[in-house]
Amino acid sequence: MAPKYKLTYFDARGRGEPTRLIFAAAGVEFEDNRLTFEEWPAIKPTTPMGGLPLLEVDGVTLCQSLAIARFAARDVGLAGKSNLEQAQADMFVDEISELLPKMAGLFFEKDEAVKAEKQKEVEELIVKTYTILEKLSGSAGYLVGNRLLWCDLIFFNIASNVENLKPGTVQNYPKLAKSYENVKLNSRIAAYLAKRKETPF
Amino acid sequence: MAPKYKLTYFDVRSRGEPTRLIFAAAGVEYEDVRLSFEQWPPIKPTTPMGGLPMLEVDGKTLSQSMSIARFVAKETGLDGKNNLERALADAFVDEIHEPLAAKIPTLLAFTTDEKAKEDLAKEVDQLIAEKLGKCERNSGSVGHLVGNSLLWCDLVFYNIASYIEAYKPGTLQNYPKLAKVYATVKANPRIAKWLERPAGQYGV
Repeated sequence: MAPKYKLTYFDARGRGEPTRLIFAAAGVEFEDNRLTFEEWPAIKPTTPMGGLPLLEVDGVTLCQSLAIARFAARDVGLAGKSNLEQAQADMFVDEISELLPKMAGLFFEKDEAVKAEKQKEVEELIVKTYTILEKLSGSAGYLVGNRLLWCDLIFFNIASNVENLKPGTVQNYPKLAKSYENVKLNSRIAAYLAKRKETPF
Repeated sequence: MAPKYKLTYFDVRSRGEPTRLIFAAAGVEYEDVRLSFEQWPPIKPTTPMGGLPMLEVDGKTLSQSMSIARFVAKETGLDGKNNLERALADAFVDEIHEPLAAKIPTLLAFTTDEKAKEDLAKEVDQLIAEKLGKCERNSGSVGHLVGNSLLWCDLVFYNIASYIEAYKPGTLQNYPKLAKVYATVKANPRIAKWLERPAGQYGV
């Protein structure tokens, strides 16, 4: 029987990886549809809001990467156990997600001088964001509450990019480092990461 | 007995108004704390993430405007009837709220330099056209963005749409389904009552 969920994104981590990590952590099968950049222009006008990722489920096509990730998290039980816990997880996701467009902008910048400027900006934003997150993070080894939630996976996804940019960054933030490690050590995530194709972004 | 919820924001609509609209639509009491910009600097370091709005509930403080709004929507039953509906509502919110929630009031009330105003207006015009186009394509046709009853996404949309109408009156008439959503929200008796209150000290 076909999987219940079909995720469409580029052959990259980017804005699709959070949802892949959520399904992986929950051990839930999904169709992982990856498009090349060449295929995209023809598909773009058929999408709800002209962007990726998309998630098809029960005849409905969802868009907006965080709306999709939150939906997946709720469906598989990784959103949080109460309204309040879910809101706290959302808070972390919102704060962390401010890094993503800046890091993408840096990654895709070709002009060396502009890139140097952007790198400085990104490094400052990382410090600002990580400081806020560290202050608010729980101390049980997870950002919120006492078990793995989608916000830990969202953080792990972005923190991996930060570690590629500046290895060792997360170690300066003990509670964040613990969340990061716990995601890596989670048996389903570890298995997923071992098989995962390497992509630059 | 003190209300269960305490919302703190500036005395403007912008990022705080969606939550106020949700409380209003649900008929739920809350403490509506409004700060002037002068009051902000000493309060900033006491906030979870250095920004507003924040919502205090059950001894916890939430930040991030849409996390707060989504939480209040859930508490009051205005988030959607199942996970799919909630995700569709989330997608509209993600598309429409940022960055217009801050850019339009900035343009209307807080930019004095003529050149900066011109540049910002150009940016805002482009964002409005792009985002209203996407929302119109995906909106339901019965006066609600998603499903057939008022949800928080209608209220988040209403907040931005009212700014758009203040900036360029008549814009919504080019987007029939969205115009219907706008009219439906305005006609909701609890919202109509809320909208009677005078504008905040900054007029936006």
